[in-house]
Amino acid sequence: MNYYFGRGGAKLIPYLLLLPGVAVYFLISLGPSIATSLYSLTDATGIQGAPIRWIGLENYREFLFMGQASRDNLDALGRTLIFCLCVTVIQFVLGLAAAVILNQKLRGRNFFRTLYFMPVIYGVVIQGLMWTLFLYPLGGPMANLLRWFGGRSEFLGGQPAEAFAWVIVVQIWANMGITMMIFLAGLQTISSELYEAAVIDGAGGWQLFRNVIWPLLTPSVNTNLTLNLIGSLQAWQLFMILLGYRNGTQVLGYLIYATGFGQTSGSVTTSFRQGYAAAASMVLFFLVLAIGLPVQRFLRRREERILG
Amino acid sequence: MKKLLSLLFAVLLICLSLNSVSAAPAAQKTTLSVLIHQNPPMVAFMEAFNAKFEEKYPDIKIDMAVVNANDLSTVTQTRLTANDIDVIDVFGFANGVQPYMKNVDAPNWQQLIEAGLLMDLSDLPFVQNYDAATVADAGSFDGKVYEVNLGRVSYSGIYYNKEMFAEKGLSAPTTWSELVDACKAFAEDGIPCMTAGGKDGWPIFVGAYGLIGSVYPDQAALVEGLWTGSLKWNDEKSLEMWEKMKIYAQDMMEAGASGVAGDAAPGRFASGAVAMFPGGTWYAAAIEEIAPELDWGYIPFPGSDDSADNQYLFGKYDQGWSIAAKTPNRDAAIAYLSEFSDPDNYQEFVTAVGFIPTQPTAKLDTRIGNEVAPYLENFRVGYEQYWVAPKGAGQFANPWASYFKPFGTYDDAQTLADKAQADLQSGLDALK
Repeated sequence: MNYYFGRGGAKLIPYLLLLPGVAVYFLISLGPSIATSLYSLTDATGIQGAPIRWIGLENYREFLFMGQASRDNLDALGRTLIFCLCVTVIQFVLGLAAAVILNQKLRGRNFFRTLYFMPVIYGVVIQGLMWTLFLYPLGGPMANLLRWFGGRSEFLGGQPAEAFAWVIVVQIWANMGITMMIFLAGLQTISSELYEAAVIDGAGGWQLFRNVIWPLLTPSVNTNLTLNLIGSLQAWQLFMILLGYRNGTQVLGYLIYATGFGQTSGSVTTSFRQGYAAAASMVLFFLVLAIGLPVQRFLRRREERILG
Repeated sequence: MKKLLSLLFAVLLICLSLNSVSAAPAAQKTTLSVLIHQNPPMVAFMEAFNAKFEEKYPDIKIDMAVVNANDLSTVTQTRLTANDIDVIDVFGFANGVQPYMKNVDAPNWQQLIEAGLLMDLSDLPFVQNYDAATVADAGSFDGKVYEVNLGRVSYSGIYYNKEMFAEKGLSAPTTWSELVDACKAFAEDGIPCMTAGGKDGWPIFVGAYGLIGSVYPDQAALVEGLWTGSLKWNDEKSLEMWEKMKIYAQDMMEAGASGVAGDAAPGRFASGAVAMFPGGTWYAAAIEEIAPELDWGYIPFPGSDDSADNQYLFGKYDQGWSIAAKTPNRDAAIAYLSEFSDPDNYQEFVTAVGFIPTQPTAKLDTRIGNEVAPYLENFRVGYEQYWVAPKGAGQFANPWASYFKPFGTYDDAQTLADKAQADLQSGLDALK
């Protein structure tokens, strides 16, 4: 489709209209990203007025190759991937299942749609507080339930692997509503005639899902997978609220925050290391890129193949 | 069109003139932004002090922000950078980089000074109200004063419930064996021995600093020894410490302590749910407020079987006041700290918060003051105030009891000792 904006100077109108958007993009997205990549090559503290020295790739060397700390960083990277895989897969499956069920003409479906979506609007702090109370080891609901079966646990304050698993549960609980709503929106774009035609042709429930719903949900599948992947790779707030800075539980996102802003445990003083944190951010960026780009490419090709 | 523009212009002029008339008196009032960390008795004191200050200085309005202790340095950095704060509560000023430490980052307070963000207070009269040793040890850098430190605290003691001890026919433990026996006696009755605010992380291990202290009373020498290699986390002496830390984490600390919030732990002790509470002197005010009638005592953590080794209280210089160098409200900020440092006001502060005073005229004439008085001669700055990890050191290079099950993954003292030393050594080797 061609747009006509006139002759001479009027030809500039579309570019002028684009300018505010591009300026905002540069200001709040691309600009800081470029700055971060430059910061990662310095010893910047993030403190206004502090001298900044160019140190080349030293931050990357320290993050990836210096002593046990670098191996701890790589462990955090591994945990980030595990977190991403678990959250993406489970949230996707649960969101899809909830959407398919709640797309039926069931009594109380609006109530359940609201119920499942509600955690999304709470915000991270409220979500964290709710689960902290739910998992309170001295008489919280979950502790009482476990006690009936003769068990006990420290939950969020206990074994790092268990605490980490609980953050996965909370992340999925907190965001499954979005996944479900995107699938619901996708399901409602599928014409009822297609369902009827498939049923007349003798399709059962599984065949209907596999041959009608699943292919036509492709745009929603792509959106959800992309959002879940990037969201879970960058997650850190729930870790901070539920666990704090604990050995064996950090993911890259939280590591970056804690390093960059000198987050302390009690009064044990740390330093502000925004140059180092920027280097860790760049590692996370390349991780997101390395996973996100092939997945995007695969999904786009799949969409073209299915929907043309 | 012209008429419309003229009308709009006239309306704009009227609005501006009205605004300038109404804004004139308000412009006289200075708003002083103050940042402190969450500590209930201190917050309560500061609110009362601010009201009194505003009454005395009607032209100054105090805007006080309270943040979690773990977030204080983050908020300090961001608000100083944004030039959005005037008076700041600064933590941990005492622990600087020692000459034998190589390739480490300066602590954040030093970074703030070097960036020119904290005001030089050297010539201000209120600094003279504080004792010279404190000003030198916990407030000065490169010969200039940047902070007035408000008090010392001990964190290596244990609160104990005298009534519960008396019921069991026990006296306050003075040795490790007595402590173990006391805990066993309470456990027989199904009473958890100790609790801590493990939800906040650090309180679960802070009590055990007394254990480190009983093995290494000279904490500065301990840190130097670890850096220079003359001491190891897995040598025979340290192994005894790890063995005891395991008992502390697994047999003494109550199950579920990791879920107790830092400010809820004193309440749990005050309610009689546990017999002891390892923690800092700053908790005393909260315990007294919750249970004024409770008969409690405070003793140094008895980490050794020789009671002579258990006479030390380890602690730190706690918070202090600094002023933002670029504050536009310099006079108001100085007036605020001058007023706070007035001996009468400072005495009220010490009484409310329970700090061991840093003004020579003030007395900690409270219950906790009386409890720690016999040990003040043996007060020592604790390990964590000296410790700066070498770059490249692993995350287990610090000796925390919370690494043991059920709070962590380790179940064997030797394994954890080896891991702690390996993590430290890795950083030391990276320097070569």
